[in-house]
Amino acid sequence: MTSTPAPSLRRRRSGRSEALAGWLFALPWLVKLGLLTLLPLVATIAMGFMTMPITGMPRWVGMANYDQMFADPAFLKSAQNSLMFAFISVPIKLVLALGLALLLHRARALAGFYQTVFYLPFLMPAVAGSIVFILLLTPGAGPVNLALEGLGLDPPDWLRDPQAALWTLVLISIWPLGVETLVFLGGLQNIPKDVNEAAELDSPRSWHRLVWITMPLITPMILFNLVIGIISSFQIFVQALVIGGTEGQPAQSTLMFMVVIYRTAFRYFNLGYAAALSTMLFLAVLAVTVLVFWSARRWVHYEGDTT
Amino acid sequence: MTARRLFQTGLPRRGFLQGAGAAGAMMLGGLPRGAMAQGSDTITMWTPGGSNLFCDIHTKILNDFTATRAALAGADMSCGFGDGGDYTQRLFGAIAARQVPDVSMLWDSPVSLGAQGAFMPLDAYMAASDKINVENWPGGLLASCQYQGVTYGLPVTAGVYSMWFNADMFAAKGISTDRADFPKTLDEMRRMSKEFTVWDGDRLVTAGFVPPRDTASAPVWASINGGRFYNAAESRYEIDSAQNIELYSFFLDWLNEEYRGDINLVDRSGHFDDGYVSNSTGLGPAFREGRLAMMSQGCWLMGDFWAEPEPSFTNWDLAHYPVGPSGSATASGVYPNWFVIPAGATNPDEAVAYLEYLATEGVVEWFRQIPDVPTNALVEAAPPEVIVNNRGEVYAQEVTAFLQELAGIVTPMWDSPVQNFGMDQITLAVEKIYTKTASVTDALAEAQRASQAELERVLSL
Amino acid sequence: MTALPTGTAKRRTPRNRGGGWIGKVMFHALMLGIAAIFLLPFWWMLISAFKNNADIFSLDITWWPDPVRWENVVALFTRPDFPFLRQFGNSVFYAGMVTLGTVLSCSVAAYSFACLRWKGRDAVFALTIGTLLIPAIVTFLPTYIVFARMGLVGTYWPLIAPAFLGEAFYIFMMRQFFLGVPRELIDAARLDGAAEFRIFWQIVLPQAQTALVVVALFSIVYTWHEFFGPLIYLNDRNDYPLSVGLFTFRTQRAVEWPITMMGSLFTALPLIVMFLFTRRLFREGLATSSLK
Repeated sequence: MTSTPAPSLRRRRSGRSEALAGWLFALPWLVKLGLLTLLPLVATIAMGFMTMPITGMPRWVGMANYDQMFADPAFLKSAQNSLMFAFISVPIKLVLALGLALLLHRARALAGFYQTVFYLPFLMPAVAGSIVFILLLTPGAGPVNLALEGLGLDPPDWLRDPQAALWTLVLISIWPLGVETLVFLGGLQNIPKDVNEAAELDSPRSWHRLVWITMPLITPMILFNLVIGIISSFQIFVQALVIGGTEGQPAQSTLMFMVVIYRTAFRYFNLGYAAALSTMLFLAVLAVTVLVFWSARRWVHYEGDTT
Repeated sequence: MTARRLFQTGLPRRGFLQGAGAAGAMMLGGLPRGAMAQGSDTITMWTPGGSNLFCDIHTKILNDFTATRAALAGADMSCGFGDGGDYTQRLFGAIAARQVPDVSMLWDSPVSLGAQGAFMPLDAYMAASDKINVENWPGGLLASCQYQGVTYGLPVTAGVYSMWFNADMFAAKGISTDRADFPKTLDEMRRMSKEFTVWDGDRLVTAGFVPPRDTASAPVWASINGGRFYNAAESRYEIDSAQNIELYSFFLDWLNEEYRGDINLVDRSGHFDDGYVSNSTGLGPAFREGRLAMMSQGCWLMGDFWAEPEPSFTNWDLAHYPVGPSGSATASGVYPNWFVIPAGATNPDEAVAYLEYLATEGVVEWFRQIPDVPTNALVEAAPPEVIVNNRGEVYAQEVTAFLQELAGIVTPMWDSPVQNFGMDQITLAVEKIYTKTASVTDALAEAQRASQAELERVLSL
Repeated sequence: MTALPTGTAKRRTPRNRGGGWIGKVMFHALMLGIAAIFLLPFWWMLISAFKNNADIFSLDITWWPDPVRWENVVALFTRPDFPFLRQFGNSVFYAGMVTLGTVLSCSVAAYSFACLRWKGRDAVFALTIGTLLIPAIVTFLPTYIVFARMGLVGTYWPLIAPAFLGEAFYIFMMRQFFLGVPRELIDAARLDGAAEFRIFWQIVLPQAQTALVVVALFSIVYTWHEFFGPLIYLNDRNDYPLSVGLFTFRTQRAVEWPITMMGSLFTALPLIVMFLFTRRLFREGLATSSLK
């Protein structure tokens, strides 16, 4: 051990080398951030203002792509579908996941088994999950409608009725709710024991406890699941493609925004317009997420957070 | 097993770097070989896939060709990318990267990408050749590769559309099974269809002919009614022409009269649109189950007819399309296997030589194993083995001759620079018409408006 | 608030949730019912894999294949159209390489964000979180063109190389873990004159072993499912991982549902096995990362 320099010198030197190390360690990520994320994002936004033939020079066209977009029935329909899908599937998924987590929290015996069961769907390939739902929902040969009829309900034609097809997608996206459930479960299990005990002493009614004690404490999880849920619901692609194809059959009811972007770029070869659509998607997701985070200040409570 | 045991504390720094280095080496060494840059003594070819049999055949044809060429040391065949849409993506990417194969098969019309300069024009080569010269291709067929007078590909083989009928069902009803006696007009066919249509409650047990919804073959129907969807000479869509409106009104009326106006009932009872298992409902092909008397189908079914699920009969036969109320002549259609030379290919001369070889000699082996009809006039091809084995040599020869006759009256199709867009619009319009969510006029008009707008956008690029 | 009478301290017995063993039975009945609903698709996949087309679509719904068609298993592995074993190997390669790169790069970046102080760090981290909001499709087109012009389309490079630079989601997750490492350990090591890398490698990483394993497991699962990237960037059917192999298999002319189901099961099987062994670690990872 060499002689240690004076304290102020030591701080400055270690400060500089720490900063240098900071940049170095972050460098690979910064490269990717710049080149593969921000640069393509900027490029995409720029491309949205151009028209791009496959060979030959791109040409600036200003707002032409956006003008086309707002008059395009496919854009309007898919935007509507995507919004509807997001606003339906995300809350349902959150509520179900929370309910499931609360139930799992109480389970002592077989807890591991249950958790495994609810997590398993997440391990299925998205395509396979979609296909098996087609099999399950086929009228006549699928058990779902059989069960619904047995309950005295009049089941819809899930795959061919435009009103019902979107719900098919909702079901498919809800099935793998293991991730959200486990996030909630982790949050519930992190609630300190003494809080629980104090609460039990205070208000014996579990409903009361749930609303006033438990819920506020898991708001960070709710926020996390909400944001992740919104982002992924806007990006649903594979399942929509399997259920409805590139047309969003039946009757464009399963035409999701990502599918429109995909087919505009790779089936119609209209890159400029596809870039404009992508920019639109990004802005929409950004807007919703910012809104959620902004509102989060009101209702999210961090344990031990003094801000 | 805990995470702790995975890591010993104090891994030396060297271990980290070694690990990274090893990973790098593994990546370089173990990387699956992709389409890297090729030398000019190798000819590269891509195909969109299909079965392994398909791939094997084409690899063999390519290798046979290469053996005859002094300038070529080897061949590189890359096969099997998924369905048509995905393949075009990859090709498009290769073009953007300027790393294209010398020859590519396409299952999408070459007109869209050709119009944007993605493929080499072939006219000069064709003029200099005695094998792939313009005269050797039936007129309507070449239209599917041409844009504003320039040829961007060759339709080397084609699946030919025709009417198919179940001769046993005809015979059981006392109807002549002679091809020449098949209904000549739509009205006639509609009358005959009624004889076969039987309902059991809500289930369609057997049917004569179900009004068609397929988009790929739709131009044939337009043609037999004297109309068309796309006018290549004037670069204009005619989706909502009077003839088309009349045609689809006719079909809708037919649906209402014979099929209770509810296409969903039909779909729930089976798959009546073609000879394959339905991709959306999984129901089996009514035709092969002996429940459908007539259908419009491409000739590739000949190779799959005896595959699983086993058909209930073997005596099918082909016939001409009937003529519609406003039409004057029958026509047929094709779904070609196109071949193109991407712009920037490193071996264009060899590629052209390959096309010459393929179109006149290679297809013989191809057709023998897979029923894709060779279209070049110079080809003398023996009928596919599968037909010979199942129906006998005589019938096989005869039906092959009929298919070649049909190939001569192909209506121009696949010739729009916005082909995929137009087809999707038509699919949407037909769906609306059959499910009655829009009137025939409105549905076709909307498809017309959108397709024409997209066409004009591309034309002004 | 109910005031407790002194002298009668409330016993901390486990509460009777609805009356003793009846309540327990009812609870488990409910849970098992829900579990059954969740297992239904999985079960259906299993039995469909052992049926044939006719059985699957027969209007007589059978909950157990009759007969059990073991030949489907053989068919899957011997089918020339669908090089299952080859694609399985590709999946292992793909998921393995991406996971390796992810663990290495994200731990390094997370260390920088969590344990090192440098100007602009928090701004860059906020930007990192922001990228989570960018859907892949937005960055996809230009990225594709870049890789295409570099001639890398048709290889695994565009899919694997970026993993060695980092991924926002995992950087975020690992940062949370690293924040839990006691500051004193790091500061003491610095005072001793240790180089940053040494601190990272020998002190922080071992403390966050769970994090590494969790990130690895997540990465394996996500990459195993990853579909879009391989579909776009790979050319040869033999190069496909299982995730893509399944999809293209389905779009070939006649959909054969039984073998598709069988293929899906075998695709998921390695993940399931892996999950069963490491269940607890998943949960820990999620709980920590969501506490922002």
